[in-house]
Amino acid sequence: MNIRKKGQSLLLYLFLSVSAFFSIFPFFWIVIGSTNTAVQIQTGKLSFGNQLGRNLHKLFGQSNMGGALFNSAKIAVLTVVLSLLVTSMAAYGFQMYKSKARERTYSFFLLTMMIPFASLMIPLFQIIVVFRLLNSHMAIVLVASISVFMVFFFRQSFVNYQTEILQAARVDGAGEARIFFTIFFPSMKSTYAAGAIYSFMTSWNAYLWPLIVLQSNDKRTSTLLISSLSSSYTPDFGVIMTGIALATLPVIVVFFAFQKQFVQGMVGSVKQ
Amino acid sequence: MKKSLLLLLVCLVLVTPLFAGGASETKQAGPIKIWAWDPNFNISIMNEAISRYQAKHPEATFEVVELAKADVEQKLHTNLASRTKEGLPDIVLIEDYNVQKYLTSYPGQFADLSSAFNYNDFVGYKADVMKLDGKYYGVPFDSGVAGFFYRTDLLKKAGFTAQDLENITWDRFADIAKEYKAKTGQYLIANDKSDGGLFRIMLQSAGSWYFDNEGKPALVNNAALMEAMKLYKRFVAEDLALPSNGWNEWVGSFNSGKVASVITGVWIIGSIKAGVDQSGLWAVAPTPRLSLDKSVNASNLGGSSWFVLQNGANRDKAIAFMQEIYGNDKGFYQTILMNNGAIGSYMPAFSGDAFKALDPFFGNKAIFTDLSRWASMIPKVNVGQYTYEADAAVMAVMEDYYNGKTTLEQAVKSAENQLKNSIQ
Amino acid sequence: MANEKRLDRIGWYFITPACVLLLFFIVYPIFFSLYLSFTSTKGIVSQFVGVKNYLRMFGDPMFFLALENTFRLLLIQVPIMLLLSITFAAILNNKSIRFRGFFRTALFLPSVTSLIAYSILFKMLFSYDGLVNNTLIKLSIIDAPLQWMSEPRLATFVLVIAMIWRWTGYNMIFYLSAMQNISEDLYEAASIDGSSKVHSFFTITIPLLKPIILFTTVMSTIGTLQLFDEPMNLSQGGTTASMIGPDNCFLTLSVYIYNICFKYTPNFGYAATVSYAILIIIALLTFIQFRLSGDREEAMRKTLERKGGVR
Repeated sequence: MNIRKKGQSLLLYLFLSVSAFFSIFPFFWIVIGSTNTAVQIQTGKLSFGNQLGRNLHKLFGQSNMGGALFNSAKIAVLTVVLSLLVTSMAAYGFQMYKSKARERTYSFFLLTMMIPFASLMIPLFQIIVVFRLLNSHMAIVLVASISVFMVFFFRQSFVNYQTEILQAARVDGAGEARIFFTIFFPSMKSTYAAGAIYSFMTSWNAYLWPLIVLQSNDKRTSTLLISSLSSSYTPDFGVIMTGIALATLPVIVVFFAFQKQFVQGMVGSVKQ
Repeated sequence: MKKSLLLLLVCLVLVTPLFAGGASETKQAGPIKIWAWDPNFNISIMNEAISRYQAKHPEATFEVVELAKADVEQKLHTNLASRTKEGLPDIVLIEDYNVQKYLTSYPGQFADLSSAFNYNDFVGYKADVMKLDGKYYGVPFDSGVAGFFYRTDLLKKAGFTAQDLENITWDRFADIAKEYKAKTGQYLIANDKSDGGLFRIMLQSAGSWYFDNEGKPALVNNAALMEAMKLYKRFVAEDLALPSNGWNEWVGSFNSGKVASVITGVWIIGSIKAGVDQSGLWAVAPTPRLSLDKSVNASNLGGSSWFVLQNGANRDKAIAFMQEIYGNDKGFYQTILMNNGAIGSYMPAFSGDAFKALDPFFGNKAIFTDLSRWASMIPKVNVGQYTYEADAAVMAVMEDYYNGKTTLEQAVKSAENQLKNSIQ
Repeated sequence: MANEKRLDRIGWYFITPACVLLLFFIVYPIFFSLYLSFTSTKGIVSQFVGVKNYLRMFGDPMFFLALENTFRLLLIQVPIMLLLSITFAAILNNKSIRFRGFFRTALFLPSVTSLIAYSILFKMLFSYDGLVNNTLIKLSIIDAPLQWMSEPRLATFVLVIAMIWRWTGYNMIFYLSAMQNISEDLYEAASIDGSSKVHSFFTITIPLLKPIILFTTVMSTIGTLQLFDEPMNLSQGGTTASMIGPDNCFLTLSVYIYNICFKYTPNFGYAATVSYAILIIIALLTFIQFRLSGDREEAMRKTLERKGGVR
């Protein structure tokens, strides 16, 4: 390799490293911040302190972070299950049972993605009240489970499926539901894993709709708790950082656990 | 057979949520629910009221929900707009600038308290805020009577005595700020150039507002408004105020001693006293006035009131509670004055001892005697329901006015244009 | 045939749960919102006013300010971010680069943060006494702290940087996945013909990536036009402040709608009108983007369905 190539290569690594550094630094800063006090954070301390215990105590004791984390987890899990079921079934229906009417329905589905949430807020709130779901976690789960993006994602992933297997099972006399659950679903594991991660992340980090529909503090999610901590009159940044660290941790864990499937799943959905 | 399995699944998916999740509270007599913001002030005061009430009525239960101010306002809107009868609080805190807005937008949703309280007992301008079509709807709470709070030691070092700061005009204040900065290199005051707080203090001191008495936008030819805008521009142009961004930075500026004064509502006292090492070094002077003849050295900023919801589950119990404490208990008002620096609007309490007490933090002066006297001098203005729209309209044109991109007349005209559009 | 009919019915069964949920939670609100946009609904006091709201919108200086702010963000943030995403993807697609897995993960990690969390983080980093100012002063790049969050241009810059930080890795994964589907043979053939790496990138990679570029452009446009969480949380004082961000630079269309509902005298009718304006803009831009790339919606899906990459 000549010098110019080596130089180019070095430049590339430098570019990548600097970018990676900027990407990761805030996480590092959060972790350090959660061990320090507000004052130390604001004066730019970049080393580990000894306040983690105190911050955790305030977070769980005064602010019930434990409850908030549980709420977030409960909502996220329910959303993932319901969402995967509903959207993958819809995508399966659109893709495997093609018909003109269904194509038009699908186009309609896609169009709804363009509506800003702000315009749905008030009528949505009213319908939740009609269903007597105000201040309930189900209000969040139900609304989140109809993610048209997931329907789109799943359908794209199903496009290259070898339908012969399904035909064969049909010939053998298996019913459609059985085919979906026992043959199709197990063979698309990485797609479902990718969908699960996306759905989990979206649900865990949701802000505006939970803000509007939840009324009491004991129903709060971790995202809402962090937001209220930071908008208080005297925010304690040490506690806030600890809260952010703890609230982000589950998502990171889920991501790392399913990383391989996630990337594989994404690859599957954009296959040309 | 397999088909029906699918059908069953579909039905389950649709039906379970209605059983599994529905957690909305049915209208039952539970604890009296109260929504409010600011744990150090409003909530702490309400908790004091609750404990006084429970001492005599041990069977009464309460639930105080603490939310950010913006959240209280937003939840009140979403609940009232959806006409839900469940999950409503019994008592809610509403900022005075927002009161008319809620009363006119949600008719019938707030309890008519005209016969529950004697509104002559409350400070005039506070009682007026909650009057609609001849009826009174809320319980006046804290007065936002404004004061010019300053550090005696820092100003003395720069050669200013208490005399120099009493009953001055804003122009004089600006001059002093300039001299102070020249002598000490520090700022006299902190201010966010895009925040309309000082603006409203200036306006109300002249009995003016963004609207005329009929509620029509009155920005053009509003002498008080134009003088206020000129003053803001002077602060920016001559760099007389430390730029601050948001509540924390603002409070931090005087807590840390970076600035020597703060001009705002009396509710700031709690935050001033948070600087424990500065005890004895503070004093209060009347707020500056505009150069206009009708302007006085008394004004108001903020202040809120409590409202009882007509459809709350415990409405009558809530009213009884408010009557006994907020409408009657003079001792309560002494306590909250001492602990939180809260000047209530219940005038019979003004003669109490706490109001005459000498406050060591403020150089052993009876500051509350002064403040409550100024409270009675505050010119009445009809704040109406569009104060936030007006505030946004005016502040939106300020940046260009600061930069000289527009003249004062142009700025006011375009602000009025915006305001007229916003209130359609 | 009876079997066809049966399959057709079953096809509908699979779609029904989604349709029901869509009906209640999306379709109903959309139509009710449309109705609202023709009314003046202040709180619960409602009155039919026809097109008056739409006329009002055309004379509303704050609406145009919000429109301008939103478009400014769109035109600055989206292109820079997508360019970066595709650059990283191209670099990380190169098998001779080592530690690709690490870099890929590092760049994607910002996407797992909640929008609230990272807004708060950036607000702290860029505050007057914050880490960024302190570091820049220590490195002698500036002498006095910059007013990141008090000056309109700087504040917008912070928002753009924050969004780039958050979303670049996310879009990068889409491009990377698509690039990994392109057959090696194409590149080999091209290099045999004497084409340089850069030349191949522009003549082979980009054209084959067109559908996914379209996809990310459309999604990013929709996301930025609806931007709410970040400007809301970056601004001091939220809705109680006189301005959203210095000189209202964080007043995006969605934030304006939120203000109309919860900060000012609540006119839900007018709020619905403004939200329909956003919808029309999104629809227009999406349509233009599809047209520019020479595809229509179905054609795009067909392109994605086509196997291989040789055309």
